[in-house]
Amino acid sequence: MATNTWTRHHVLSLADFTTDEYNTVLQTAASFSEVLSRRTKKVPTLQGQVVANLFFESSTRTRSSFELAAKRLSADTLNFTAATSSLTKGETILDTAKTYLALGTDMMVIRHREAGVPQAIAAEMDRLGVRVGVLNAGDGQHEHPSQALLDLFTICTLLNPQQPQVELLQGKKIAIVGDILHSRVARSNIWSLTASGAEVHLAAPPTLLPQMFADFGTDRLGNTFLHWQIEPALQNADFVMTLRLQKERMTQYLLPSLREYHQLFGITRDRLQLCKPNVKVLHPGPANRGVEISSDLMDDPQFSLIQAQVTSGVAVRMALLYLMGSGV
Amino acid sequence: MTSELLQQVRVIDPVTGTDQTADILIADSVIKAVEPQISSFPTDTQLRNCQGLVLGPGLVDLYSHSGEPGFEERETLASLVSAAAAGGFTRLSILPDTMPPVDNLAGLALLQQKGLGTRKNSSSLTPHSLPEVYFWGALTVGIQGQQMTELAELAAASGIVGFADGQPLGNLALLRRILEYLKPLGKPVALWACDRTLVGNGAIREGAQSLRLGLPGNPAIAESTALAAILELVATIGTPVHFMRVSTSRGVELIAEAKARGLPITASTSWMHLLLDTRAISSYKTSLHLEPPLGNSCDLEALQQGMRSGILDAIAIDHTPYTYEEKTVAFAEAPPGAIGLELALPLLWHNLVETGVWSALELWRCLSTHPANCLRQIPSVIANGKPAELTLFDPQQLWTVERQTLHSLADNTPWLGQKISGRVLQTWR
Repeated sequence: MATNTWTRHHVLSLADFTTDEYNTVLQTAASFSEVLSRRTKKVPTLQGQVVANLFFESSTRTRSSFELAAKRLSADTLNFTAATSSLTKGETILDTAKTYLALGTDMMVIRHREAGVPQAIAAEMDRLGVRVGVLNAGDGQHEHPSQALLDLFTICTLLNPQQPQVELLQGKKIAIVGDILHSRVARSNIWSLTASGAEVHLAAPPTLLPQMFADFGTDRLGNTFLHWQIEPALQNADFVMTLRLQKERMTQYLLPSLREYHQLFGITRDRLQLCKPNVKVLHPGPANRGVEISSDLMDDPQFSLIQAQVTSGVAVRMALLYLMGSGV
Repeated sequence: MTSELLQQVRVIDPVTGTDQTADILIADSVIKAVEPQISSFPTDTQLRNCQGLVLGPGLVDLYSHSGEPGFEERETLASLVSAAAAGGFTRLSILPDTMPPVDNLAGLALLQQKGLGTRKNSSSLTPHSLPEVYFWGALTVGIQGQQMTELAELAAASGIVGFADGQPLGNLALLRRILEYLKPLGKPVALWACDRTLVGNGAIREGAQSLRLGLPGNPAIAESTALAAILELVATIGTPVHFMRVSTSRGVELIAEAKARGLPITASTSWMHLLLDTRAISSYKTSLHLEPPLGNSCDLEALQQGMRSGILDAIAIDHTPYTYEEKTVAFAEAPPGAIGLELALPLLWHNLVETGVWSALELWRCLSTHPANCLRQIPSVIANGKPAELTLFDPQQLWTVERQTLHSLADNTPWLGQKISGRVLQTWR
């Protein structure tokens, strides 16, 4: 596995990921994907190490994926959930992290409903001079690096199962449709896809896709385009990424109704006619069936990569934990 | 009688607009002489070689927050005034958002009494003289923005420097009546132009950087629309208004236009808004969560230029102490504000004066004579026979910002743990 170029101790954001780093993750994930297809799906790589899942924001899917990834690497896992924690007893987020540090944690996987918490904990670990890696498993509306990396892996593996690499994305048109303003998945994907040289087309009503997104990433290999109507975004697209729409957007004056949103921006079989014939649809889950994506499309293996994303997630998270655990 | 002779000190005097080396003789808190060189002085005079040091009028803080009463774990009046003294301030103006708030005479009396106690207990604090402490009276009862306080009674009380809630007043009907009612009272009124409905849950100035950091954006129009509305009231009613916490480039433009029309307004921004912009927030340090938020780079530039050119009048410290526990949360959840009394002069000097962006005079007047003018107070004058209200500053002294070196009880500042240059050596008043 190509780990010689890996020096990253924390994975907090994809904003400064290099092409080499993306390819290292993809190749390592491909190896683990092979491991996961064996009858014995476990390797001893992280034996004796402790991975703590600190989920200040509740999550079942991502936490299960990380927990399985750590267990497949033979690490011991600790799970923290905010509902059963001491946070309500006056403990700060750094106190929680330091408790897990004292328990002998080697890596912390952190999710929080607010942006910046994994960064704050990583900075505190660095300040304390301890070698504990921090992996951002989703912070507010900021980033969700492992989700974007598993999306990248899912797409690249589809394009070349033997050798997934970011160069495969050069010139590909990828539409990201939905609540981009509030999406950490979209942000991480914009960084990874534009670094890969893909043409990224963002589509949403103006309230969910402010013009300022045009300045989001500058000097990137791939270009970003903004669309306030869905049709030009889907035209000849190779991949369509849909995003979850939170119901509270209506009370924030952002949308009139889910019905109108689905009419204008829902991904349906008809709309996919605009895309390339072999277009594939991704969704980070959990999806609102019939809102951002029509229900039947989700279950159609001809178009949907949703199950493949979930499966890829474990291999990609194994790759990240492995690389962070072995980094310089 | 004790006399001190400061020899060959760099004297910055915004009143005369001079910046030159001189000797200054001070006796019994009065300036006895300012000469290029003083050779005759009483025999028991303490001589002090002040080469490389800077002397200017005492700094004047427009508005800061006290923890006491109500939040003594953040800051007590004693720690606040000693932080102010250590930072070179000879006048300190405290916002009314204490618990209970200064919205009636009893609340004011309580604070003044506590202030007096502080003064007695700290009389040994040398070489810093304690600053004169003033209080902003609340505009509305409980700072709730619902009903005006007994403004006339408060205005007549000594120690009330003017009126401010330190919070946006969203109800324009109430604000209109307050401005009308205050007109004959002749006290400064400080308003924070901010539309809370447009702010929403915004925690950082809206822009490309807020999108990158995934932090909810607070749009510049939250300031500019409120500012435009208040300017219309001022134009109609005529009561002079001080705009506190101006933080956007559009805000500076609106104030420039209004001043050009002759409206009776003054304006200030906070010292941190003159040094940092949203780019700094990539660290997610909660001490950078301010209200209004740090601007984007265009705002920073406009605020610096606006201050230099006089569109904005004064730099405020807006010292806002919070405990470690209160600030050790996610960025957006942290209560907004940072401490600043001990940091403003060194950091502004280092970043604006030493880099040649501003002259020393330009900076010093925005921290002393101009804020005094905004408060309609007589600025300190450096001349024979005048009371010595002075700050002696060593721009080169290095020190590390940490809990032990700060006089403030709080340490919520992004410079915590950093070595900075510049420290106030002494104040007189």
